[in-house]
Amino acid sequence: MDKSKRRFIKGAAITGGAGLFVAGYSHTLGQLGKGVVTGSSGTVTDSAIHGNSLAPELQIDLKTGIMVANAEQRLANSMCLGCWTRCGVRTRIDNKTDKILRITGNPYHPLSAREHLNFDTPIKESLLHTSAYQEQGLDGRSTACARGNAMLELLDSPHRVTHCLKRVGPRGSGKWQTIAFEQLLQEVVEGGDLFGEGHVDGLRAIRDIKTPLDADNPEYGPKANQLLVTNASDEGRDVFIKRFTFNSFGTRNFANHGSYCGFTYRAGAGALLDDLKKYSHLKPDWDKAEFLLFIGTSPAQSGNPFKRQARQLAHDRSERNFSYVVVSPMLPNSSSLAAAPDNLWLPIRPATDASLAMAMLRWIIDNQRYAQAFLTAPNAKAAEAAGYRGFSNATFLIHSDEQDPRYGQYLHASELGLPFSGEAFGKEDPILVQDNDSGKLVPAGKCNKARLEVNEVITQGAINIRCQSSFSLLAASARSQTIEQYSAECDIPVADIIALADKFTSHGTKAAVITHGGTMSTNGFYSAWAIMMLNAMIGNINQPGGALAKGGAYPAFGKGPRYNLAEFDGMVQPKGVFLSRSKFPYEKSSEFKRKKAAGESPYPAKEPWFPISSPLLSEHLTAAVAGYPYHLKAWINHMGNPLYGQTGLVTAIGAQLKDPKVLPLLVSIDSFINETSALSDYIVPDTLTYESWGWTSAWHGTMTKVSTGRWPIVSPRVEHTADGDPVCMESFLTNVAMKLGLPGFGDNAVQAADGSMHPLTRAADYSLYGAANVAWAGQPVPDINDEDRRWSGVERIIPELKARLQPEEVAKTAYLFARGGRFEPISKARDAEGNPTHVWPKPLMLWNPEVGSRHHSQSGEFLSGCPRSYGPRLVNGQPLREAFSQEQWPMLLSSYKSHVQSAMSIGSDRLRQVHPNNPVRINKTTAESFGIHTGDTVRISTPNGSVIALVECVSGIHPECIAIEHGFGHKELGARDTVINGQLIAANPLTQVGVNLNDLSILDPSRHGRYPLVDWASGSAARQGLPAKIEKVSL
Amino acid sequence: MDTSKRRLLGQIAAVSAGAVFIPLAEADGDNTPTKGKRYGMLIDLRRCVGCQACTVACTIENQPPLGQFRTTVNQYEVTEGDNSAFMMLPRLCNHCENPPCIPVCPTGATFQRQDGIVVVNNDWCVGCGYCVQACPYDARFLNHETNTADKCTFCAHRLDAGLLPACVETCVGEARIIGDLNDPASRISQLLAQYRDDIKVLRPSMGTQPRVFYLGMNQAFAERIRGEAPVRTLMTDSGKELHHGH
Repeated sequence: MDKSKRRFIKGAAITGGAGLFVAGYSHTLGQLGKGVVTGSSGTVTDSAIHGNSLAPELQIDLKTGIMVANAEQRLANSMCLGCWTRCGVRTRIDNKTDKILRITGNPYHPLSAREHLNFDTPIKESLLHTSAYQEQGLDGRSTACARGNAMLELLDSPHRVTHCLKRVGPRGSGKWQTIAFEQLLQEVVEGGDLFGEGHVDGLRAIRDIKTPLDADNPEYGPKANQLLVTNASDEGRDVFIKRFTFNSFGTRNFANHGSYCGFTYRAGAGALLDDLKKYSHLKPDWDKAEFLLFIGTSPAQSGNPFKRQARQLAHDRSERNFSYVVVSPMLPNSSSLAAAPDNLWLPIRPATDASLAMAMLRWIIDNQRYAQAFLTAPNAKAAEAAGYRGFSNATFLIHSDEQDPRYGQYLHASELGLPFSGEAFGKEDPILVQDNDSGKLVPAGKCNKARLEVNEVITQGAINIRCQSSFSLLAASARSQTIEQYSAECDIPVADIIALADKFTSHGTKAAVITHGGTMSTNGFYSAWAIMMLNAMIGNINQPGGALAKGGAYPAFGKGPRYNLAEFDGMVQPKGVFLSRSKFPYEKSSEFKRKKAAGESPYPAKEPWFPISSPLLSEHLTAAVAGYPYHLKAWINHMGNPLYGQTGLVTAIGAQLKDPKVLPLLVSIDSFINETSALSDYIVPDTLTYESWGWTSAWHGTMTKVSTGRWPIVSPRVEHTADGDPVCMESFLTNVAMKLGLPGFGDNAVQAADGSMHPLTRAADYSLYGAANVAWAGQPVPDINDEDRRWSGVERIIPELKARLQPEEVAKTAYLFARGGRFEPISKARDAEGNPTHVWPKPLMLWNPEVGSRHHSQSGEFLSGCPRSYGPRLVNGQPLREAFSQEQWPMLLSSYKSHVQSAMSIGSDRLRQVHPNNPVRINKTTAESFGIHTGDTVRISTPNGSVIALVECVSGIHPECIAIEHGFGHKELGARDTVINGQLIAANPLTQVGVNLNDLSILDPSRHGRYPLVDWASGSAARQGLPAKIEKVSL
Repeated sequence: MDTSKRRLLGQIAAVSAGAVFIPLAEADGDNTPTKGKRYGMLIDLRRCVGCQACTVACTIENQPPLGQFRTTVNQYEVTEGDNSAFMMLPRLCNHCENPPCIPVCPTGATFQRQDGIVVVNNDWCVGCGYCVQACPYDARFLNHETNTADKCTFCAHRLDAGLLPACVETCVGEARIIGDLNDPASRISQLLAQYRDDIKVLRPSMGTQPRVFYLGMNQAFAERIRGEAPVRTLMTDSGKELHHGH
């Protein structure tokens, strides 16, 4: 055995012996709770023996299984929104107070149960399934995580917004008045001198879908684009908001939090999967994989689906032949000493994941450890014959001379006078490969085995085209540096890199690698693509134990079997350039053409364009403030909190957003006042997940179809409209649309499959029609029976179902809501041979022509069409370490997800008591060199920001890293005094605790305004690997 | 498929782990079977992901005052040489076969049910705190609201209703197993038999004969743990101290 393997294995054997124990969470915060000792005898408990424990929801006879319900409580399946995993949960509700008493998992739901219950199981049986009867609940367990348990406290929080609010005084003053819903509608729609600060255009004035907003740049689209609508993410009502935004109002500008969440992963995975439209990604087949590698994501610590992956990790490492390595700057909760030695943590320098992945790719290619039969198969049929379940474009030929006008694109038959049909470069113009045996150029679809390494000039008569195969281009990119150079960049020893690459390629297709938010760095897109490319090397796509696409859903909001929710009369197709300059090549802009015409170099663009990216909230707001490409007149924000969530945004534009002249109208729709909605002119209250209707699906990693349906399991705490609808996102947008007379809302707005027309006038309508579509998808679901109605809590909503749906839809939609959605049986996950049934159909892209034929708008250089180690850099390509020297900024920040707090969970007392603070972690040895010890107070500074923090000095972290757990350091969400109608709602100081990495800003010095650092290629926010310094302070 | 390296990983671990093994069989006295049920809990530490779902579920189900816990999960960073790993250790009342909390109770408020569950009668408890001091596991506390001794009851109110304890129900990694130790067919009895040589208890030297068992525990954790306490001070990012830990 060579040395490298020994070293790797030694690294894995972490067991026993005397060690250093740094304790975690065992906090007692007695003084802070309500239970202050009064000195006299205490309060009497409800029960002598059981204290104040809740009364059980059921009584089950352990001999017979006979079950009696507690008449004072009800159980109802719902959806959690403690984070964006959106698990199905079972709630337990007090009938008298209408409060949620406790939350666990919904056993029908794949995100909450290891083996979810068959969908047709009676509700009563599902209750036995999780009970102690015959110990069924031990395997039938369906869980909620710490957050999921605790989020019920938000329902009746004193900091909830329950009435329409209008600001008093300047933006961000924290002072509000309540106004009637009708007044809010009037002011937002019609505008006027709303705050005594001058005229503000209302939505009616902004909604012009004909007149260009900028005559000099007609590609920017109509004036209606000056409304931005944002939604935090799809919590079940996203399609409804998009219907209003795109197709009724007609603005192009919509975005969610993806660009400051994990968009680098989505973009990198999308580039691999030939999906730069929906940005699909992959998750491992947890049940069959033998080895999993996590780089920049840490199951049980972070990643989505959080709870499902944590459970799978726990199960696999204790029950199966399974080992895993997690690569991260700091030791994550994925690590388990108890399950040692088959798990290993490898520390890495922050934001250098691409270097590790490119080094592994180089070793795998140089040593021919790739799956040759997979990569040489140029189509699905050939790959299948070779024993694989997907294929790649490794052998496809690419124009590889940068002077060639078709540089970066496929070589097509039409270019060489070979047979094709349809248009040149169209779908029926074959892409060429070099046949393995004959060496002839043949269509990829008609070749059984093609040559992997091609780099030559193709000559046909007078035509000479320099071409390389995708594989050769990737190999050249990987070989642009030595493994030693890569090793020096990421600070993982060469021997460990080789051992890891060796291990990864030692399990056939029963191995996989994934990543996620750890790649949110200035070179994030290429980091994520490089990591995901390792999967292509072993051909694990769609394989048992390999990398899988998602199981899908029963669609609620499409052109469904009951209602057409995707189309309507008069629907608008939005036009124009997104504020974030996404999905649009700079070369098509008027700016580019003007510069060309004037004989100037068209590069750099005034600010970067992001042709391969989805609309980016990380660039929308800075664009609107800077007015490039154009200004906004209004912003409607549903639940979004970019000022808390995006690194550097507060520093960049926080002050400007307070100026109504910069962005004249700002309306938020939210249940709480967060760091962003605090700057609003108006806040519309919103229903929480337990009070609202909605349909979501599951993340990748669930192999069966999931449609999570939620419904008001308790009465909404918000005020109601004059006609009795809760005031919430749907009622607001619906009424705005009706007031403006927009298409797609009002009476007769929705067409049923039988041609009848139906209203879209009440908050529930859209989701209820969606429910009918889900119920009728494929084989319609059964009608609900009386027993299910009684045991599921849906009895309460039957009147509303009857009022809004067609008669035959009531019992079927009730059947869904009783189960919390619709879920494909677990038996459908695999075919008879154990192969995953839901497969990714497109080729894996070793070279992606959509990327490789694009220029970067600043340098004018081509974007690499395959993964490459560019290193951390500014958007103009300057290395980050050149702009911010190591001498001045010796440390690198790394943000990690909390396993307890999410960005929106700090308001729960019962959760916060378990984990009340986020001391920053730094390396013990590094700390000693600075004279810093655990518990010390430090100042952490970046070029544009600074916070005071407490430190925890640990061994499990890279020596240059400062790791900060996300979810703390709030300025709002109850952390600040609020005054409504002159009444003080006092802050809870405990929600202020800790620091938020995103307040540690770096503005990109290569840009022309105030822009936080983003990924130079994709425009995603950069929060990993930010240069910083740390010093001890005494206060 | 090359499995040789994986096997090798396993062999090295076995050698290393073998040196610190003290099986339960040597550390614990005999369990004298009583008639009827005897509840116990097995916690498979290999499955514990440190998510704290049990901690939160317990406080919601049992409603102790904020800041007081019937169960907790401690998280330890263990380092040897260049290597670090996490150890998660859920803790709760051990419902001992020989509970040191019972003889010290002056009123008889603390007692053991027929099924082995140690409980406190709140009507009798005078809040003297002797039991809190007698427990070698720090499993008890004086409830700030009731002024009585408080502790885990295995959610006896739920077990009596045919339901699982809150912590077991919501255990994300399915690490917590509760069941009848006197029923050889129960899951817990079967697991205890299957892993007999690997099962450990906390502080076996105290002779308490705990009925909370651990699988996958490093021997170093069985007795008092040397280490650094976590940072408990609560401070804002401008340096305002809200609470100083102790």
